[in-house]
Amino acid sequence: MSGPNTIDRLRTWISETAGRCIYCGFCESVCPTRPLGPHRGYGPRGRVAMARLVAEGVTPLSNTVVESVYTCLLCAACETKCPVGLPIADIIRAARRLYTLEAGFSAREEKGRVPAIARR
Amino acid sequence: MLDVRSILSILASNIKATGLPVPAPREALYSWSEGLSIPKDGDTLLYTGGLYQLLPYIEVYSSQLAKLEDKRSGGLLLRAAGRFSSLSRIAGAIVRPSKREVEESKRILQSIVRLLDAAGVRVAYRREVDGYSGVLLYDMGLDDDFKKHFAQVARSLAQTGARTIVTVDPHTTHVLRSVARRLGLLPELEVKTYLELLAENIDNINFKKGRAGTAAIHDSCLYARRENVIAQPRLLLERAGYQILEPRRSGRLTYCCGGPIESIAPKLSSRIALARIGELADTGAERIATMCPICLANLKRASRTAGGPPVVDLSLLLAERLEA
Repeated sequence: MSGPNTIDRLRTWISETAGRCIYCGFCESVCPTRPLGPHRGYGPRGRVAMARLVAEGVTPLSNTVVESVYTCLLCAACETKCPVGLPIADIIRAARRLYTLEAGFSAREEKGRVPAIARR
Repeated sequence: MLDVRSILSILASNIKATGLPVPAPREALYSWSEGLSIPKDGDTLLYTGGLYQLLPYIEVYSSQLAKLEDKRSGGLLLRAAGRFSSLSRIAGAIVRPSKREVEESKRILQSIVRLLDAAGVRVAYRREVDGYSGVLLYDMGLDDDFKKHFAQVARSLAQTGARTIVTVDPHTTHVLRSVARRLGLLPELEVKTYLELLAENIDNINFKKGRAGTAAIHDSCLYARRENVIAQPRLLLERAGYQILEPRRSGRLTYCCGGPIESIAPKLSSRIALARIGELADTGAERIATMCPICLANLKRASRTAGGPPVVDLSLLLAERLEA
């Protein structure tokens, strides 16, 4: 279902789409996780920046990045404030998709190494 | 924050094994319909997506996960569980949902059917077709698992011959109406929420006369920002006699309940819910109306903690105002 091409396409899409962010930070005022999280990776601007850096190979998919993209609520409140109309929730979901592909979730299934409960 | 890889492994394994995101018996999905005379065939088919019914099980499961977040050994235990999915197996054996919550989720679905009937909308229901949409797989970025799971859902729905699918929660609505359409997985069917159908047929509904009290409305993010379901719940509540009180952030600018990250970051999730319950309680409303099972569970818990007003599903508020 998914192969190296999927990962490349995903990286390109994230890089191009997140690359339109002008880092104005208007999105941060409405993000529910930003004021309660420990660092800027808990806000949309930080998440979009991280997704882009990961997609472009500048930053590895570290625990901090995973934490950042998986604490997003996908509520899209940020999108109501974005002056360039970025699909921010889609960018975050794409970053999650990249993580699951890089972490080998699809590959594990294809090789039949599914966890025990799945074989019951 | 819990170990993401383990949570994803457990989620994917659960759905692959049982079709459900948490360990629960299959009959939990349809036991609400027992004793009701709903036809099996028809143009308009009710597909619940299972979220209301699974809520009591999700509550138990989430509280187990929240305990792991607090314990020093929790991370290790969760990683081991994710590797072998043993937590799912253990949880499957010990999950005992609250009877009161199970009954409430049944009442919500029964109320929805009663309201549709009062509006003159005849729906069919097939317990063998009803199930989980796979929305969490999609949200978590497990697209391949989602597509495999949803292909089965789409096949089952198509085989019923129905032309319109009626949904009852925003997550299932969004997956069926927007995600599946975009991915070309459900091309032929029209998808409507029960709120839209009730609003379209509101003149048929015979509500009690007089005032029903005040209700603060909590919009679901997906309904308000993705599915344009904003006016319908307001119209329905008003016609049912409620005075609607809007929180500081409402409609398209609504504030999330925190529920979507409950299984990943339970503490952060509950802090967001507490912030939201504060906004809703500030309206001074007697009750808070929700229209999503995830919002209902998260805000109800937060309101108990904060001593706020009762949080009630919209369907129950509307059904209690139906003329007998």
